[in-house]
Amino acid sequence: MTALLTIDGATRRFGGLTAVDNVSTTVAKGELVGVIGPNGAGKTTLFNLISGFTPLSSGAVHFKGRRIDGLKPFRIARLGIARTFQNLRIFPNMSVFDNVSVGAAGMLGVSAAEAVFGGRARSEAISRRAWAALEQVGLQDLAGELAANISYGRRKYLEIARALAMEPELIILDEPAAGLNDTETRELAAFIQRLHGAGMTVLLVEHDMGLVMGICQRVVVLASGRKIADAPPEVVRKDPAVLEAYLGVEE
Amino acid sequence: MSDRLRPLLVVAAALVLVLGVVPAVLGALDRSYLYQVANLALIFVLLAASMHLVTGVAGLLQLGHAAFYGIGAYTAALLATEAGLTFGWTLPLSGLSAAFVAVLVALPTMRLVSIYFAVATLGIGQMIYLVMLNWVPVTKGPNGILVTSGLELFGYDLSASAPAYFVVAIITLVSLWVIHRLSHSYYGNALRALREDDQCADAMGLDTVRLKIESFAVSGFFAGIAGALWAHTAGYISPADFAFPQSILILAMVVVGGLGSLPGAVIGALILILLPEVLRPVGDFRNIIVGGVLFFSILLMPKGIIGEVSALDLVRRQLGGAWRGEGTKAGPEVGWR
Repeated sequence: MTALLTIDGATRRFGGLTAVDNVSTTVAKGELVGVIGPNGAGKTTLFNLISGFTPLSSGAVHFKGRRIDGLKPFRIARLGIARTFQNLRIFPNMSVFDNVSVGAAGMLGVSAAEAVFGGRARSEAISRRAWAALEQVGLQDLAGELAANISYGRRKYLEIARALAMEPELIILDEPAAGLNDTETRELAAFIQRLHGAGMTVLLVEHDMGLVMGICQRVVVLASGRKIADAPPEVVRKDPAVLEAYLGVEE
Repeated sequence: MSDRLRPLLVVAAALVLVLGVVPAVLGALDRSYLYQVANLALIFVLLAASMHLVTGVAGLLQLGHAAFYGIGAYTAALLATEAGLTFGWTLPLSGLSAAFVAVLVALPTMRLVSIYFAVATLGIGQMIYLVMLNWVPVTKGPNGILVTSGLELFGYDLSASAPAYFVVAIITLVSLWVIHRLSHSYYGNALRALREDDQCADAMGLDTVRLKIESFAVSGFFAGIAGALWAHTAGYISPADFAFPQSILILAMVVVGGLGSLPGAVIGALILILLPEVLRPVGDFRNIIVGGVLFFSILLMPKGIIGEVSALDLVRRQLGGAWRGEGTKAGPEVGWR
């Protein structure tokens, strides 16, 4: 398998704190990889390093063989990396459809002159993508609803749909199950597996051990910014370093 | 009524009203003062619509909009009086000069976050006003400029009240159409995404800085167009027409009408221009009444008449990340980004 994403010695220091310390790993095309770790382990910082929101202190990130660290977030997004946010960042005062259409518009490009004088071609391409993404997550019936008015669980799917409308090659989900109950988490797990089954490469940060261990092919474990394990779930589950750092005593 | 038919009916009704009913009434009454009020109302409709794009849709709190209006007006007045150009030239040139200054202003300020951006536009608006006031050799300072060339377009003299009204009305309607195409389309949605969460829009592949500069330039362009219309129809301009209170008046129009809605901006402008005229019989009390309308509209209708964002919400977000709720950690930092 060829590596889609390569993280090479990624390090990020905030003052005296090293949030991410010399982390290297790869994500192959079509893989479903989970990143776990206790609070403050550097999971979200690692995601911000990949998506360009936080600059690296040292190290390198390559995507499809191209070096992407140092690029602006929107350039990285256009190369084919879509992300969701830990704290659910939808556009509350816009309709569900408009939210998703922004993802498509970002990738297909927006031009003021074309919006005024151009034809409908781009506008139709954007809405086709947006509808396809809404249907993928099953929100098409709520398309006209204001995003602020739909339930929390559905907003999670809205955020994923917005990322899917970008038709990315890699989707990065930052704690998608946060705030969901057990039933909703199981549904989400099934959804992510379907997404993966359809050929999407997924990188997933999650607190919910059950979700990560249940669906991921490989799990990267971070503790205090360092990578302490990088193996299939059944191996990670028995790794003494992981048990000590993250799981603590047995459940 | 089907969704496709309704916008057409609204447009048809607006055209009949602006190009049929209003000029018929004005013609019947035949008082030049009423024509001036009508022109002023249309010019402020255009100003509010141009601000709607940048403040209502893109969510950039702009406190110096009148300065771009002034740049347009002074460009038109100076080109007409000093260079002898006719309206056909001064109109596009004043739009372009205002857009050019808007880009110059936008380049350094667009990276400023929230309230700092608002303060920067306030300061720049004041600077431009002070230049108009004090650069006496060029702008004639507080004496203002008398624009005697009237309204000449393609060789026709359209300076009389009725033809001038039609010129203002048609230019305003065309500008509204352009702003509508921008703000109610995928382009407008991209701008709305900046208003809602610009970091998030960045992660969607949108070049947020470019979009902000673009919206600022387009908004400046139409403010400049409004300035040219004012210079040529009023016949006299002075710095006071473009001072800070005018910026606040335009902002109030957008807020009362409803942030993010173009029809809202139009209605807000009409209310705040026509209400003081209608209330003329009650004398100076009218200013209190207008202030009261503003105050209670914010209090009772935080989203304006037909807006999509509450003004309080926008200002609250402009004041910084602390009130963004849960997303504070990932939200924008204060100051520079």
